Amino acid sequence: MKERVIDGQNYRKERIARCIKARSDDIYALTSQKEMWYLLFPRIVPIVGIAIVAYLLPIYWKKVILTTCIFAMLAVSWDFLSSCGMLSLGQALFFGIGSFAAGGFNHYLHLPVYLTIPLATVTGGLISTMILLPVIRLRGIYFAMVTLILPLMLMRLIEATKLLGGTEGLTGLSPFPNEWVEVTLIMAAMWAALFGLRRFIASDYGLIFVSIRDNDRATMASGINIYAFKAQALFIGSSVCAFCGAFMTHSYQFTGMPVFAMEFSILPIAAAAIGGMNTLAGPLLGAMLLVPLSELLREFGTLRIVFYGAILIICVIGLPEGIFHYLSRKYNEMERWVKIE
Amino acid sequence: MLKVDKLMVFYENALAINELSIEVNRGEIVGIIGSNSAGKTTLMNTISGLLLDTRLKEQRKGGERITIFGRLSFLGQDITNVWADQRVKLGIVLSRERHPVFVESDVEENLRIASYLLPRREIKGMIAQVYRIFPALFPLRKRKAGFLSGGEQQMLAIGMSLMARPKLMLLDEPLLGLAPATQVKLIESIVTIRKEEGVTILICEQFARPVLPIIDRGYVLENGMLTLHGTGEELYDNPEVKAAYFGV
Repeated sequence: MKERVIDGQNYRKERIARCIKARSDDIYALTSQKEMWYLLFPRIVPIVGIAIVAYLLPIYWKKVILTTCIFAMLAVSWDFLSSCGMLSLGQALFFGIGSFAAGGFNHYLHLPVYLTIPLATVTGGLISTMILLPVIRLRGIYFAMVTLILPLMLMRLIEATKLLGGTEGLTGLSPFPNEWVEVTLIMAAMWAALFGLRRFIASDYGLIFVSIRDNDRATMASGINIYAFKAQALFIGSSVCAFCGAFMTHSYQFTGMPVFAMEFSILPIAAAAIGGMNTLAGPLLGAMLLVPLSELLREFGTLRIVFYGAILIICVIGLPEGIFHYLSRKYNEMERWVKIE
Repeated sequence: MLKVDKLMVFYENALAINELSIEVNRGEIVGIIGSNSAGKTTLMNTISGLLLDTRLKEQRKGGERITIFGRLSFLGQDITNVWADQRVKLGIVLSRERHPVFVESDVEENLRIASYLLPRREIKGMIAQVYRIFPALFPLRKRKAGFLSGGEQQMLAIGMSLMARPKLMLLDEPLLGLAPATQVKLIESIVTIRKEEGVTILICEQFARPVLPIIDRGYVLENGMLTLHGTGEELYDNPEVKAAYFGV
């Protein structure tokens, strides 16, 4: 309860923001080292923490970190799209296209790794946007349905036409020079995607995307062509996924039908649900918890999914706002009982 | 009949209602007059119990913290912590702001949905009674509620709250967005409802001019605080009310 009566006197719990910054438009004036640490602490701790885990732990856990970062990026991109009013069930589509793009460039054109990944990122984003352009006018569940079906269709298309390696996939692709490059690259990309997209959403330009989610008709009535902006958001979001796909292709030196698997679509959504939607950092946190958790549960064999599901359900019921919202509230706000006069 | 005792409602740190005590006696039409942000809708939601639900939802998702102090009693029973559906069973029925109706159902279906608490055999008679009070609804009874005009939707919304056979009917801004002629018709219907159904009515409005002549007593709210209390005529002749709400 948030109210309390002591000796006939009413008390109420008050929330106060730990207001530390003097803000004028977009200039922050920080006045002490303490305040700088207050802002830096929640950003530096995960960056350093993950770096330590990635560089110091044995090779098995390095691979887990790689997968975690990839899913975290998929989740961030899912959240970015949902911040722009596009409910996507098809991260696998973007991921798969990026993966096959990188595989194709490497296998047929013999391009080196440092060219295929950027190329695949851009072409993957473009192709995904092109494929989804006709349905960009759909909203909510209809858009979600189309994005859900497309990767399954592409998977069967590759199987039937035997294009791009067919059922066997493309094997023997170029690897990364060494595992240090691999780990550093994916971590850098993940933090760049998170902080970049966060900055982007907070800018005036990003405001348009958020307003499309809030009320697309009002945005249209302000003279904004929302379909053009949705296409841009789609390109940005799918490029991030395409990068993940390209990275994974070279990491495993293989691409094939499994890259369109449902897992790549569902796990980011679960991560966003338990991490906290519309924060970008929340889904990342969710993925950071879910992927290693699913690795830890591996020893339970088939029961893994049961435990996994149970933990998901408990999280969603216990903290419907998401872990990140909860943590940031506790970090940024003080609470105290005040007497009501 | 209804007694609100020292009610205080906080939305986070903002005070929406400040130590408000009002009383509604059986058979009265009581008006709550106030401009925007006076706390009218909050008061209505508190009396109908919807605020308890909002408070729980906000608490679960860690959103806005709603704090409620004070007591509500209805027919001698303390209802401060009674949920909204139970309050409807006790006889407090709210017709919410901006006439929410089930847009995909036709008028008759809307009334049938609202008749959930009535015994089966009384439903037909009650629907006929609603059409008698709002004759304009009768020719539209097979039309989808979403296609009705604002005034017709408002009539339907009031008709729906009537279907639960209330003892106390709460009307939240029934005149909002209606043309002056429609407002007059609606006000006449409200008087009819009191006369024929014997329902006590608590009505919240910012258009004081059409409302003041029909109310027995009125409270004037400003920023959640009670500023004036008097009979309808007293308020009508009050120079402050005239200046603030009649624009003269």
